[in-house]
Amino acid sequence: MSRNSRNRRQKDDGSGGFRIVLLGGTALTFLLIFLVFIFGSQEFGPMYKLLLDVVGPLQKGAVKAVSPFHSFKEKYLDLLTVREEKERLLEELQKCRNAAYANRGAVALNAKLRKLLDFKESSGLPTVTARIVGKDPSLWFRSVIIDRGLSDGVDKGMPVVSGEGIVGQVYAASANYAKVLLAIAPSSAIDVLLQDSRARGILKGTGGSTYRLEYVLKTVEVAKGDHVVTAGYGGIFPPGLPVGIVSEVTRNRRGMFLEIEVTPAADFSTLENLLVIEQKAKEFRQPAGIP
Amino acid sequence: MLTIAFILAGLLLAVAQTTVLMPAPVWIAAPDLYYVLAAYAAYQFSFCRGFLIILPVSCVMDVYSGAVVGMYPAICGCGWLLLKFMAVKMPVRKSFYQIPLAGASYLFVCWLTVLLLDALHPEAGISWSWPPMLFRVGLLCLAAVPLFRFFHFIENRLRGRFLFLRAKQSVADGNQFRQDRGGLE
Repeated sequence: MSRNSRNRRQKDDGSGGFRIVLLGGTALTFLLIFLVFIFGSQEFGPMYKLLLDVVGPLQKGAVKAVSPFHSFKEKYLDLLTVREEKERLLEELQKCRNAAYANRGAVALNAKLRKLLDFKESSGLPTVTARIVGKDPSLWFRSVIIDRGLSDGVDKGMPVVSGEGIVGQVYAASANYAKVLLAIAPSSAIDVLLQDSRARGILKGTGGSTYRLEYVLKTVEVAKGDHVVTAGYGGIFPPGLPVGIVSEVTRNRRGMFLEIEVTPAADFSTLENLLVIEQKAKEFRQPAGIP
Repeated sequence: MLTIAFILAGLLLAVAQTTVLMPAPVWIAAPDLYYVLAAYAAYQFSFCRGFLIILPVSCVMDVYSGAVVGMYPAICGCGWLLLKFMAVKMPVRKSFYQIPLAGASYLFVCWLTVLLLDALHPEAGISWSWPPMLFRVGLLCLAAVPLFRFFHFIENRLRGRFLFLRAKQSVADGNQFRQDRGGLE
């Protein structure tokens, strides 16, 4: 019994020594390989390449297998933040819309002011720029209040125009404000000419958004689209200012005159800024060409 | 104080009517707020106070609008007198009837004004047209509902009714306080 155990102990001692040698040899080998790699040429050798080709598909397969879970996770995380993102985007959209709206308004105002400026420069007449501050709410009169008055050189009877054409004339003026009777007012009457035929007529307001051209003889050839300009006879408006375009011509069997409807050159629904021509009645001279 | 407050309210209404409620010179959907005030003055105030309120307001409207001087004071004055007479003589006191009556009187006064202006100032070219006039009457009636409430509110505040109520409530609170203390003792 004791002999057997002594033999086993001797055998154990022999295998234990072998194990230590094997472990030390392996460690030394790895150390040697490590040292060779560290201090070697650092080249990716054929062995490595082969190994990469072998283990590469494993990685690829693993990534492929996991990718649906990954995308699912990403989608889930996106869903968690989608409400905040939506609110942020809506807010941004609203800001962009407001900015676009403001820009459109600015562009429209710029175009109007440019027209006014063009008119001011091309007419060569002394003018005062004015802004509409109040509008007549009554159904029977059409007038506006402007922010220029006697102190700015604006006086009763002065013609008022916009960039597109005539608007009316100053009806009353105080030190800082003036009341302008619009050309579409029923009580307004302006001497005008049909630009092509040079036929004269009286332009009257209807209270609506059109004019009525009166006292044009049936013998005169008037067509839709003819331009109407100021005649300058009354001495209130300078001659040749655009008034409007003929939109309808009616020839009644009775009577001497045509019934003509004129669409105003100035857009009365969007009036904002005006020009008051600083000349009183009778100051405009008749050009030689105008009958 | 009440008179001044209502004159100021009337001026604000005139300004609103000629600016905010008039986006374009050819806009027809601007309710005649000054006339609502004239109607309210006829229903609620004494002769003197009503006159003191509507005169400056109608003069301001005359400045802001129209080409015939004195037209708005005439419209306001006529409407106010008419409604005053009706309010005194007829048993129509409730606000349910007051607003349609204001609309009807407005239509009548406007018709009378057009008739007179056509006779006295034919050059003004004023003509009567039913559709826009009926539309304006409708707008006036619509605007009168909240405005009457607003005027009532101002009147009640300035007449000190709320103050009276508050004073009454504070007395009640005081009694309760005393009762509570009594209970504790």
